[in-house]
Amino acid sequence: MIPYAELEKFFCDLVAKAQGRGIPCAITSGMACVHFGVAATTKDCDVLCNVEKSDDFRELIAETKLRGLLPNYRGNISPPLDARWMRGGWTSHFTWKTAPEESCLDIFGIAPRGSSAWEDEIFGLYASRHTVAEMKRTNRDKDWPYINALGIKLLKANDLRGCLHLYDADALSNAVATNPPPSWMLEARPSLRLALAGDERLADAIHAETVFWHRLDACRIQLYERALRPYVSAVRKVIARRAMPLAESHEIRMQCAERHLLPSPVAVHGFAQLVADAREVTSRRVHPDLMEWLPNGLSHFIGLS
Amino acid sequence: MNNDVSPPSDLPPLTPAQKRQWRKIEWDFHVRAFGEEMARINFLPLKKRKAAVAEMIDHARSKGVDLSRPALGVTP
Repeated sequence: MIPYAELEKFFCDLVAKAQGRGIPCAITSGMACVHFGVAATTKDCDVLCNVEKSDDFRELIAETKLRGLLPNYRGNISPPLDARWMRGGWTSHFTWKTAPEESCLDIFGIAPRGSSAWEDEIFGLYASRHTVAEMKRTNRDKDWPYINALGIKLLKANDLRGCLHLYDADALSNAVATNPPPSWMLEARPSLRLALAGDERLADAIHAETVFWHRLDACRIQLYERALRPYVSAVRKVIARRAMPLAESHEIRMQCAERHLLPSPVAVHGFAQLVADAREVTSRRVHPDLMEWLPNGLSHFIGLS
Repeated sequence: MNNDVSPPSDLPPLTPAQKRQWRKIEWDFHVRAFGEEMARINFLPLKKRKAAVAEMIDHARSKGVDLSRPALGVTP
């Protein structure tokens, strides 16, 4: 078993080397949370990489050994690490077949649910707390305490955007009482008005928001999963279980992707339609009066095309 | 590379009382959300924190806990 400390150093070195080669990239998700003081039990690494530098980053990954092993794409399911698909919100999976567990790396070009360009705010090897918190608004319950914890970290660092990430009614009320949010923030998160007014509906409105974000993510994932099927089938036919170098595997994936993988399923479906889908499902799960306090969600597709 | 930058803050710096208040709010939240042991780890200085997390993760893995994520092609 490769100790976590060695894995963390390995991934940090990889990102540092990439940055040294002029590739904007940053560690995000679990490892970033650990760095920021919100411990997460993960041993794999998620990295954001500038879409236009996808080829450079893939070449760097291809030559990077871990305990003497070169990496490859993980299984037949991974889309190619290529600008066309990264721009559309796909994730590429890589693995080093270490024993007894593989060591895995996921690459994002676009931060899911990002409302600002992640490249504008990088903290050394890590994405910003704000980016990580937005990425954590998933359909998995386990991610939500991390969002709140990162929101508090932002406020402690005097960054008012922390108010966008507090899903604890008491903490949120306290935050807005100290520093009233600016108008753009009230527009981005209407429920902040309830917090400002000390309205007792705040906790219910926050619950409605979490239902909305859960549904938005679930609807998004559904689109990608549906789009992925023909591609996986094509890759499986060509690669089967053959072992091959990453470069060869990449070429096959590119050929399969060109024929079978929609570059941007969300763009084809429509951003507004996706938000409308999520709102529709949410409306069946929360009281109708709470719908007006939901965020519009449309500003959370930054970079996606 | 635009490293180590964050948007300039127009806010006045936190007063010592506000800092204490946020620290208490943060501690209470961590205890409630993650449990006391994890809260204690989260409040350690960076180096000690990473060492404690590493120890926790390696211990879990040595007992057979599988921390690998499935490759789904799309990540939540």
